Amino acid sequence: MAAIATAATAAVAAGTRAARAAAADDLIAKVKDKSDKVRAEAMLGAGKVGAAAVKPLAGAMADADFEVARAARRALWNLVRYVGRPGADDEKKAAVTELIPLVGESQPVAVRREAAWMLSELAGDEAVEPVAALLSGKDLREDSRMVLERLPGEKSLAALKAGLAAAPEDFKPNVAISLRARGVEVAGMPDKRTVGSRETKVKAMTAAELQEAAKAAKSAKQKKGKKQ
Amino acid sequence: MKNKVTLNRRRFLATAGAAIGAPLFIPSRVFSAPGKPGANERVTVALIGAGGRGNSLTREMKRSEIGHESELVALCDVDEKRLGDSLAGYDPGIMPYRDYRYVLDRKDIDAVIIATPDHWHAVQTVHAAQAGKHIYCEKPACCTIEEGKRMVEAVKKSKVACQIGSQGRSQREAYLAHRYLVNGNIGHVSKVWAFHYASPADNNPVPDSDPPPELDYDLWLGPLRWRPYNRKYLPGSFRWMMDSGGGQIRDRGAHVMSCAMWWMGADGTGPATIEATNLQFATKGVYDCCVNMTVTYTFKNPDWTLIWDQKGAQFNPDAPRGEKRGPGEEDISRPGYGAIYHGDKGTFTHWGGDGGTWAEKKAREWVPPAGFKDVYKSPGHFEDWFEGIKTGAKTIMNIEAAAGVANLCVLGNLSALLGRKLSWDQSKMEIVGDDEARRLMGRPQRYPWCF
Repeated sequence: MAAIATAATAAVAAGTRAARAAAADDLIAKVKDKSDKVRAEAMLGAGKVGAAAVKPLAGAMADADFEVARAARRALWNLVRYVGRPGADDEKKAAVTELIPLVGESQPVAVRREAAWMLSELAGDEAVEPVAALLSGKDLREDSRMVLERLPGEKSLAALKAGLAAAPEDFKPNVAISLRARGVEVAGMPDKRTVGSRETKVKAMTAAELQEAAKAAKSAKQKKGKKQ
Repeated sequence: MKNKVTLNRRRFLATAGAAIGAPLFIPSRVFSAPGKPGANERVTVALIGAGGRGNSLTREMKRSEIGHESELVALCDVDEKRLGDSLAGYDPGIMPYRDYRYVLDRKDIDAVIIATPDHWHAVQTVHAAQAGKHIYCEKPACCTIEEGKRMVEAVKKSKVACQIGSQGRSQREAYLAHRYLVNGNIGHVSKVWAFHYASPADNNPVPDSDPPPELDYDLWLGPLRWRPYNRKYLPGSFRWMMDSGGGQIRDRGAHVMSCAMWWMGADGTGPATIEATNLQFATKGVYDCCVNMTVTYTFKNPDWTLIWDQKGAQFNPDAPRGEKRGPGEEDISRPGYGAIYHGDKGTFTHWGGDGGTWAEKKAREWVPPAGFKDVYKSPGHFEDWFEGIKTGAKTIMNIEAAAGVANLCVLGNLSALLGRKLSWDQSKMEIVGDDEARRLMGRPQRYPWCF
């Protein structure tokens, strides 16, 4: 971690695009390393690399090696948490600028979903339009309205109101929940929150069935015991 | 104080057969049983979350002093196999459900035991309270600050009895420890050091996959934002994921720090600052909670410090080993966690803090002098809950106290996730001066699994 932090700190201090890109390359190489310890160091050091690492990390989130993909995802989250610290507005703004295109259709759904949630922690009005655009597709509309619920300000509220008006009937209650969470009264919406909908196929058991089940369990246990 | 509870049996009789979406079968023994109180004095209970912990709670309830006053009538689980297997371990006639909302819709059910993963506690508690059910919910109460607030509101409004499962407060030796401390035996306590071993790492990672056919994974996720299934997420391992469990600090912290808040008379108060340090995360796999962490909570007026220190494979290397117990005394079966209380006249140690709480010998042997200050002695965690149900008395781990303890766990994890110290305003119940942290005080929930 120390090596990454040093390279990253130097890059930030140097403030040059080339230095930042070099730190990001170094980070990605470590995120893709075969050793989980090296990957973990990269995860923890990602924050200091900053916005320059956002796009390459998003790319690594689609890596065929699921552990590399996880390390990249976690590194990007650590970066989001690092740039979100108080007093780091420029770093935060730069990261948000890089995160916004990641919710677009050119990215895999998994990346778009994560990027939207990352924006929910950091962004302001600038993220509302791209996130609200996700309301029109089935894959990410639920994430979209939840992220809009969290994004502060009037613009996200207006996007939710517009989203409610445009939503298909089956999705209107979802958007209404977000509006209510933001203090808006929404009347006349069907409410499924307390209405059961998932039936079980398991049936209540009679005394005789319980006896049978106990016998079967005992016999299975004995068989298992013999095998061992 | 709310009025004495009116059990729902008569309402059920008037409406039997009219319940929506599920057949009803109530065994005749619910209505009377030889040598036992009449039906109208029994509390009908449903278990939501019929896994290992849930089934152990119903057994505990049955064994307790109020066992004969309770009747389990329904089981609910999102895993069909587990539901069927659990059902086979009970009396005949108990109704199985996958969806807890059918349970809440049954007018003949008075109370629910919620033993689902942590991310379900708040939504199910709020919905149960809204349905007028009394609630026993596993700890920790909540996963976010906002969830805790909503639980408190809902329980207050519906006037139901709610007991959160930090049973440490109801243990005999917890009473002895509490009594020993409040009578000044170690003087003014300025520091409580809670020790625990590390959270596990996922050393055999597996890729995401399709969920098994018996599991309703969508329902398991419930309020959480959608993510692909991974078999390492459940059943018990939900504890090691930040959004569904939170690691040892939330799992056992909700026990050990519950004792600390109770014994320090600090329920209703909160820390001014929270700082997580000595952080170590897993290097691979899906478990994303801290493996090692130290969280320092500073309290003001009165000033004291609470430290949660989690490290070491089976024992925190800085922690005292379990005390050797005398003849006839129960051995300390869980010596890997507990706390040391530092006063200006000495120290006091306890081990455990949950269903097993063991106090240091000096508290066990302390003979109270005349005029000593006594403290509440819980008759047992279930017994205390039933007292709340029947009389309206506040439970020992009531929702306000439990949300306060859970907030400590939540804030410790937030500080760790964000990698920075947090400031907390207890009067407003909010984080101060950190926009990102403030946004993380709540999390939007998936519909319809929401408040």
